[in-house]
Amino acid sequence: MMELWNELLTFFSSEKLLGITRMILLLLIGYALAKLVSSSLVKMMSKRSDLHQVMLVKRGSYYLILSIFAISALHQLGFDLSVLLGAAGILSVALGFASQTSASNLISGLFLMAERPFSVGDVIRAGTTTGEVLSIDLLSVKLRTFDNLFVRIPNETLIKSDVTTLTRFPIRRIDLLIRVSFKENLKRVRKVLDAVADNNPLCLEEPKPVYIFKGFGESSMDIQYCVWAKKENYLDLKNQIYEDIMHAFEEAEIEIPYPHRTFYTENPFSVPFAAKQAPEGLEKTNNTETND
Amino acid sequence: MTKKNSTSASWWNQSHIEQHHGKLWRIGTLSLLVRCLPNEWQIAYSRKNESESDLFKWNVSDSDQTPENFKEQARYVFHETSGLVSFSPLLADRPMICRPRTPFNLTAGEEITLYVSTPLWLEISVGKTQKKLTEIPIHRPSDTWFGPTTREGELCYASNTAARLILEELPQRPHRAVTPVLIRNLADSVLSIERLNVPAPLLPLVQDADGQMWTPKVTLTREKDGDMAGLKIDTKAPKEASEAKVLRKPRIKTSSGALIRAFNAVFG
Repeated sequence: MMELWNELLTFFSSEKLLGITRMILLLLIGYALAKLVSSSLVKMMSKRSDLHQVMLVKRGSYYLILSIFAISALHQLGFDLSVLLGAAGILSVALGFASQTSASNLISGLFLMAERPFSVGDVIRAGTTTGEVLSIDLLSVKLRTFDNLFVRIPNETLIKSDVTTLTRFPIRRIDLLIRVSFKENLKRVRKVLDAVADNNPLCLEEPKPVYIFKGFGESSMDIQYCVWAKKENYLDLKNQIYEDIMHAFEEAEIEIPYPHRTFYTENPFSVPFAAKQAPEGLEKTNNTETND
Repeated sequence: MTKKNSTSASWWNQSHIEQHHGKLWRIGTLSLLVRCLPNEWQIAYSRKNESESDLFKWNVSDSDQTPENFKEQARYVFHETSGLVSFSPLLADRPMICRPRTPFNLTAGEEITLYVSTPLWLEISVGKTQKKLTEIPIHRPSDTWFGPTTREGELCYASNTAARLILEELPQRPHRAVTPVLIRNLADSVLSIERLNVPAPLLPLVQDADGQMWTPKVTLTREKDGDMAGLKIDTKAPKEASEAKVLRKPRIKTSSGALIRAFNAVFG
């Protein structure tokens, strides 16, 4: 009993206990300080910087302070940090070989953060996924799609493929594909389209709408009419302007054709007559596709 | 049914609406219904085409229409309503881009005054403390982009009336304000004027003795080096507005009335 008591006494008066207490204290202080510094930096930056920068500074400051205190805490326990760093070097090579994909994502993540093709809050299209960027992390970018799904895209994929940032610039162009009948006067059609764009307040006056004649289609003359909108009004204008064009075309009696084919026969009465007769009595028919 | 139609009285005075009743204002293209209920205010409006409206007059009448007959509707709920509704005019919340009827050139050392008409917004507030409910443009101008490229610039409104060299040529409407713009060309080369950026949010709104709305004179100076343009806003009402009184302070306060901007940011 006395031996145990003596051992406990020596343990509590030893340097080891003092080291452990210091380590715990350092970790607690480090955690509190990291939280405090990162949240005050966020408060300071939130007015002047965008979400992405704020998030980067928050995480960077938090992990930097925490790691400094963690290293000091380990030092208190008697760990030789130079050995630890050497071991970390060897470990990182081993880990690098073992986790090539993660390392590649990590490096891609650093490039993404440096290059900043998009920020948190932007809407991007990567491959077939379109969504709002929730966070840009070291390994992946998290998106929220418009049907409210959470999508995680590895950074490596984003570095390798085309990424379109839809909300980078304040204004966007809407390309409208319009088909009119061959009998229409194109100058008149253009005038009607310009009037529609002019009357819609969401459609920007400058840059001016662009009119492109795309060519003669199978059943119509194809026109591309491009109008500009504030990025927030993109969908509203796209929906409104098609409706406006429909009404304007109806008023101006401009025909929007549907695909159709016309069959010409040598004798218009031959087909019903032949159908009543034996099959070999069928008249020769001429099947012609026209543009009208 | 009472009906008030005026060219001299102001459309933005206070008005009292009995509970379960409404009033309909027709100002230019705007038809605005305000209804008072025991616990809520209902505001509804729609717009007609310019060809269908008398742009030079306004009128107000009692109305038993419901908000469903209008394109835009909003409800504002209160513990209790006093029936007091106030309208107040204010200038646009973005700069206005105005064009002369045809572009013209200003030779070196010359200066000219253009008169620009910009649409007004209507602020609706209720009660004795004038709690703001909303603001509505009386005429919704078209959006436009003003800048050298589609990446740089700012979103503005496009004025649908041309800037005039002669004030009398400008149609005077109760729901628009006139801004005299003095353009000075101090550079050695000719200044081609196709469009102008009138900084509406920086301007106060004044009214003259005849009820016409004005803003102080804006001076745009093309500096000698040609790349910069000075923008100066007078502190007083323009000399064309007699016995003018200030109706509204600017939306955005500037420390001084003078600003230096890039040439592109003023003359496009």
